[in-house]
Amino acid sequence: MNIFAKKQPDTPKSQAELIYDAFQRKERQFRGNVALSWIFLLLFLVFLFSGQELTIGGITFSTIKIDRTFIGENMVFIAGGLAETIKISLLSITLATILALLAALGRLSTVPPIYALSTFYVSLIRGTPLYLQIFFFFLALPQLGIVLPGLWAGVIALGLNYGAYMSEIFRAGLSSVGKGQREAAMAIGMTPGQTMLRIVLPQALRFAIPPTGNEFIAMTKDSALVAATGFVHELMWRATKVGRAQFHNLEALIMAAIFYWVMTLLLTAIQSRVENRLSKGDR
Amino acid sequence: MVPIVNISNLDKYFGRLHVLKNISLDVAPREVVCIIGRSGSGKSTLLRCINFLEEPSAGVIEVDGVKVEGGEKGREHRQLVHDIRLKTGMVFQEFNLFPHMSVLDNVIEGPVTVKGMDRTKARELGEMNLDRVGMLFKKDEYPNRLSGGQKQRVAIARALTMEPRVMLFDEPTSALDPELIGEVLNVMKKVAQEGMTMLVVTHEMGFAREVADRVLVMADGEIIEDRTPTDLFASPKDPRTQALIDRYRSGGG
Repeated sequence: MNIFAKKQPDTPKSQAELIYDAFQRKERQFRGNVALSWIFLLLFLVFLFSGQELTIGGITFSTIKIDRTFIGENMVFIAGGLAETIKISLLSITLATILALLAALGRLSTVPPIYALSTFYVSLIRGTPLYLQIFFFFLALPQLGIVLPGLWAGVIALGLNYGAYMSEIFRAGLSSVGKGQREAAMAIGMTPGQTMLRIVLPQALRFAIPPTGNEFIAMTKDSALVAATGFVHELMWRATKVGRAQFHNLEALIMAAIFYWVMTLLLTAIQSRVENRLSKGDR
Repeated sequence: MVPIVNISNLDKYFGRLHVLKNISLDVAPREVVCIIGRSGSGKSTLLRCINFLEEPSAGVIEVDGVKVEGGEKGREHRQLVHDIRLKTGMVFQEFNLFPHMSVLDNVIEGPVTVKGMDRTKARELGEMNLDRVGMLFKKDEYPNRLSGGQKQRVAIARALTMEPRVMLFDEPTSALDPELIGEVLNVMKKVAQEGMTMLVVTHEMGFAREVADRVLVMADGEIIEDRTPTDLFASPKDPRTQALIDRYRSGGG
């Protein structure tokens, strides 16, 4: 007698359960294979930069050699830019969110100058490069006697730029709230202000949070452009500084790339969690 | 008896379309008035003009002593419209519950935000009204977890919690699956029996016959009949009324 034999369930599975099980097995298998392939690709990348030499059939191949001592020596310096990168991103997304909300509300306004101001802002910002805008606040304004610290020039430029793009998200959020909601609020005697604040905005914001997360992730990467001003010591600035000085740009940029990538992965994970929570229940 | 709702010489235009033509109507306290008519006859617009969800083009609306002229603008007018909305509760075809609030929060939103009522007191009042419509057991649920009939009952409780003098129902059962209509009509019947003044735009002839004190028939922006349901259904005067009744008899929507 085999004492390790699995105990048989009392009732055999129905056909629906069997089909469902098979479907789930397939799903699991697919995800497992994708994960394995990812690991393989990652290992391949590591191998590509490992500096190994191997001889196949008399021909010697060598992979890219990177200077490990340089990495060890400059790790702390480059990692020191993380805090600055996160700081710029957080400040900019805050400014962008406020501007986007104002621009979206302006876009819904029936007062011509307000509507015009909103569309003018969005058109001007979307019609010019972000890189130019950063330089404008950092290099052009001093000519008028306005000297902004590098960090603030960057934050204002990024905030203005993302605010213009994000205003579309907020506008979509506001118009996703049906007319019936406003009418129901008005019927119980709420003022237009109360209706906006208590009924429309909460629903619009819930709609806008996931895409705002995407913008935030994009912004952490675009914050690298601020390095061009030369006065904000964030990741990209630090990487190019040590890279150029010691002609080790390859190593320095790889290090910065890894930092950005890991940051993006973490933020994406956080975002999908927030999204899951929002989509659950009370919709 | 002094009417609680008095509409005189009400006109409403949508652009060039004349949807309400010089309508005058009195409703006595505790009276239940059903308004029937084909779609496009102006019955919903009439109801929505009473609480100014539609601004009347001309005419006067008076509800429980608050008298508002249509077609006006300005601060004073807005205040009067606000006052008239506090006198009236409205129930919509599409329920329009606030999806981001629990059932109880939906019901107490008005008293707390509009009337500045203390939350504890509002909650007591809200729970009492949820109980009235048989929805107290779902007070902590969110609207998306309710059936259509349950949503509409909560919407009725939300309107009642504002303690209005007049309830306006705009096709309250038209968006419901047939098997859910009964529970909503029962609640409405109960509210009527408790003495609420009600104006009900509806296609439910059974309800009109059983609960209404008067039935108005609207066609082309005018009230073509205004009689007790017994009279109306026994001997419709206007051929358009006859056609309407026949259509419902034969089971058409």
